[in-house]
Amino acid sequence: MTSFVPVEEPIPRPPDDLEALLPTSAARVRARRGAELARSILSNPTTVAGLVLVLALMAMALLAPVITEPNSPDPAQMPRDWGAIAVPPGSPDHILGTTNTGGDVFYGVVWGSRTSLRLSILVVSITVTVGVIVGSVAGFVGGRVDEVLMRIVDVFLSIPELIFALAIAAVLGPAFRNIILALAVVFWVKYARIMRGQVITVKQNDYVDAARVIGDSPVRIFAKDVLPNAITPVVVQATMDMGNIVLIGATLSFIGLAEAGLAEWGVLVAEGQAGISSGRWWASTFPGLMVFLWALGFNLVGDGMRDVLDPRTEKAR
Amino acid sequence: MRGHDTVISVQDLKVHFQAKAGVVEAVDGVSFDVREGETLGLVGETGCGKSVTARSFLGLVPSPPALPPQGSIRFRHRGEGSVVDLLRLDAADMGRIRGNQIAMIFQDPGKALNPALTVRDQLGEVFAIHRSAEVLEGAGVGPDDHDFADHLIRRAARLRSRLLERLLLALPPWRSRRANLHAATDDLVVKALAETQIPNPANILGRYPHELSGGMKQRVMIAQALACNPDVLIADEPTTALDVTVQARIVQLIADLQDRHDTSVLYISHDLSLVRRICDRIAVMYAGRIVEIGPAEEVFNHPKHPYTRGLLAAIPSMASEKGELEAIEGTVPELIDPDPGCRFVDRCPHASDMCRADDPSLGAVAPDHAVSCFGYHPIGGSELTAPSVIGEDGHSE
Amino acid sequence: MTASQASEPAGAATPATREMADDPDTTGDEDVLLSVRNVAKHFPIREGVMQRVTGQVRAVDGVSFDLRRGTTLGLVGESGCGKTTLGRVVAGLETPTSGGVYLHDSTGHSPAGLGSVSIDRLQGRAARYFRRNCQMVFQDSFSSLNPRHLVRDIVGRPLKVHKEASGTELTERVVELLEQVGLGRQHLYRFPHQFSGGQRQRISIARALALDPEMIVLDEPTSALDVSVQAQILNLLHRLQTERGLTYLFITHDLAVVRHMASEIVVMYLGRVAEAGPTEALFADPIHPYTRALLRSSPDVAGAGDATMQGLEGNVPDPARPPMGCRFHTRCEVATPACGWEIDDVINRLEDVPGMFDELVGVERRSRFDADLVFDDDTSAHRLADALEGAEVPVSMTAAIETVSVRERAVSIRFREVPEVTLTVRGGGRRAACVLED
Repeated sequence: MTSFVPVEEPIPRPPDDLEALLPTSAARVRARRGAELARSILSNPTTVAGLVLVLALMAMALLAPVITEPNSPDPAQMPRDWGAIAVPPGSPDHILGTTNTGGDVFYGVVWGSRTSLRLSILVVSITVTVGVIVGSVAGFVGGRVDEVLMRIVDVFLSIPELIFALAIAAVLGPAFRNIILALAVVFWVKYARIMRGQVITVKQNDYVDAARVIGDSPVRIFAKDVLPNAITPVVVQATMDMGNIVLIGATLSFIGLAEAGLAEWGVLVAEGQAGISSGRWWASTFPGLMVFLWALGFNLVGDGMRDVLDPRTEKAR
Repeated sequence: MRGHDTVISVQDLKVHFQAKAGVVEAVDGVSFDVREGETLGLVGETGCGKSVTARSFLGLVPSPPALPPQGSIRFRHRGEGSVVDLLRLDAADMGRIRGNQIAMIFQDPGKALNPALTVRDQLGEVFAIHRSAEVLEGAGVGPDDHDFADHLIRRAARLRSRLLERLLLALPPWRSRRANLHAATDDLVVKALAETQIPNPANILGRYPHELSGGMKQRVMIAQALACNPDVLIADEPTTALDVTVQARIVQLIADLQDRHDTSVLYISHDLSLVRRICDRIAVMYAGRIVEIGPAEEVFNHPKHPYTRGLLAAIPSMASEKGELEAIEGTVPELIDPDPGCRFVDRCPHASDMCRADDPSLGAVAPDHAVSCFGYHPIGGSELTAPSVIGEDGHSE
Repeated sequence: MTASQASEPAGAATPATREMADDPDTTGDEDVLLSVRNVAKHFPIREGVMQRVTGQVRAVDGVSFDLRRGTTLGLVGESGCGKTTLGRVVAGLETPTSGGVYLHDSTGHSPAGLGSVSIDRLQGRAARYFRRNCQMVFQDSFSSLNPRHLVRDIVGRPLKVHKEASGTELTERVVELLEQVGLGRQHLYRFPHQFSGGQRQRISIARALALDPEMIVLDEPTSALDVSVQAQILNLLHRLQTERGLTYLFITHDLAVVRHMASEIVVMYLGRVAEAGPTEALFADPIHPYTRALLRSSPDVAGAGDATMQGLEGNVPDPARPPMGCRFHTRCEVATPACGWEIDDVINRLEDVPGMFDELVGVERRSRFDADLVFDDDTSAHRLADALEGAEVPVSMTAAIETVSVRERAVSIRFREVPEVTLTVRGGGRRAACVLED
């Protein structure tokens, strides 16, 4: 056994007998590496805390119909109990109290997570797909194509995100669907930029030239050499944006760009806002807290992933 | 033969690093002297500890991950004659020695020079810190001048001006004094650059490092390092990134300046062919230890240690036969909690049980020429005499 | 205009050019595997918002040579001389601006007449033939192996791409290849970062061998390695060449290494061939002053310890505006009046003289050899005219001036017009681009 000894940075070698016991098929080596990665991600307690938070919130979103009885006919609308207006938290019918208009805060908090999950998944999947495609084409093809695409991106980037989204949502009219659309239109440019930069960097590696010398096709070179080595920062950013988008979405619905009475955190905060000055803090605080926890959870996970997945630190390990 | 007075004496230097998997013994018991006016070559392959050794002279090994170094590096002040241990200096004392008595030049001048400073500012800083007296003299401020303007200029010369003082210096009554100061600094900078044979140095004063070629940057760095006429210059692979035609000129330049100022040079390199041309003595390092040290011609013409021999045989030469080179088989051992014994044992064609059990120390094989190999210094017995293990002129028998 | 390349139609039936045709040793030779003919590679310099092309960096500017089957040709020169770009053109990674690279099969004709087609655009049979037979090993073994691929996938990839093997058969072929480069089955399922620099370079070599090519372009394959590892890799390359009859294009800046490996050498300077010939003759008796400068600058481990290393004065000129005549004349110690002295040299030589061009207001060029330098006062004009005869400029430059006259504030200078110095045959299979006789 003479291998496994990088001269620059000696890394520990497992004992020979252990090495002999290990499986030697590609799939299992990959699985082992995946497990190693997962282990190092999970070795950071703050990441684990974020992960627990995220899983709990997702569970809440998925189990919403089980936790509270869905409002009919439209479960996305808050149920109104006109007999219990501005009830403080702790009452048997309304654990977290009600709003000025008799909306159940607990229902809003639970079903709001469902709305948020839908929002973040839709927006992130649309923007990542569009951004990665545009960024990849610009970076990999280069030349004129790159010039044109990047000028378009520049136009989008020159307008502040929130104001741009606000303008689009305002033009399209107050509806939650339009918030999703507005955020999708605004957010893809970020991914396009990250991806383009990554692709250009990765493209300069000799292994891309080595693949060309072998005679592999550009499409396969992109799929095997460029994309896997370029995508990590996008994945990290997307994870964090799962949280950030809910924050911005709530902001937009707070200022009234969603349907009134929607079971959504921003709408609920807005509804409860009037009561804060007269001591009825609960209707705004609980959904506000949820937005905070949601954003925090995804950002902690994203941070932890970045520490482990960053190609620079990865190579050194 | 140059003088034999020792400037720096390294005794049993150990620099270990804390890694996740254990302690990396990067430098492990290195001892050697740097003599006055000589060029000592410290050679070895990647990871042998040559750079770490040199960096610990100036306290430039980042800690952590490095553990506190052990042993001593005793430096004798040429002017004052006092002796200090460089490993035990506090930051302020080290700051005074760094640049003043011991200077260092690096492999990558692009990284060692501040990209935001012009050549003038880069070198001016050195004069402000270490040679402000000369700057002030040039600016017409003597040690006995004590009026307000002198005070202002004196602080400006040491780059200690506060904001208010700077504003005052921009006003008409003091402006001309400030101009004098700048002119005096420029004069010194130009002189320092001229020493490195930069043609018309006044032309490059306003340039930034990125506007200079690699060879030119290296010259600026040398000018900066030698500005204070140091006793010792540590050169860490200064020409590795340069083309051979430029390397030849830089090396010649260092040698000329060294002769003129009687500086000792510790020249770190992986390039044995180069080191042979420029060094008086050579220390060969392997896996954190010195395996052989001696006069350059001795080491090259009569290499003793099997590693030195292997290394020399592995280098293709203009004179060598074509065909197979004698490569040293195997790879460098791990330095995490290494086994006892000679670190070259796994790759050595002459290894014996003794080499595995015990660690050979440096012992003289000729005047001024020492080797750490049991082939020459068997402990206890004499059954292994030198000729029986390793022949005199480099071939095993 | 520089005397130009590409006077030959690309893809001509006989690849020989005027330059090469003079040399009977290298034309119509059945032993020739690869012919490089008048290859130029220029990179456009773009400026401004509109990305207008404002100039061309002439990285490679008209290079021709032949590579004989089973031999090693060393391509040497300093950074910026174009050797790496030329290697990339030969490997099909760059499209030559003009000229062609021809790979011949054993009958001596070229099945893959590359012309000036990028390897990416080569079609069908020609592309496959070229790819199978011309592979490349890169300098940086960190960067040349995909960090996410296992050794089996890296070495087996050429076989997969060319549909030679898959599954267990692929694995076995990879094991064979690994064993040939001194690695083994136990290394199959490891990632590149688990290997040392020397081992990674072995993996690169195994990948290059996978398609059993006729030739390999080796771009500084050992420059990043320690000497003891370098010796292992050089030995490996040597053994593979003997066993498989491989042909190498060995690109390096290290003269000792190239002397050890190559039977023929091409020395490049600023995009052109300065000198070419058999290794022994070239090292024993270099013709071109640049080759001589390189040789005396390179320290040799066996050389005497007190031999001086002289090096070269000055910087490499801008490759976007290469000097006229012989490109080396600006730094040459034995330059003659016939070497191509031009107006640019006046400015370059004298710009370090304090105050010489402070009053210069304009240069009116009639050609690169002939111009008026207009000053603000006539003292400066006279000063320049005097300096042209003085010690600040080389004697050969002064001698190359046909007329110099001062009219009021303008200095009119005309140098002798000199054609580009091309390679000439010097006997013994040697060629050199120098006006001096041997």
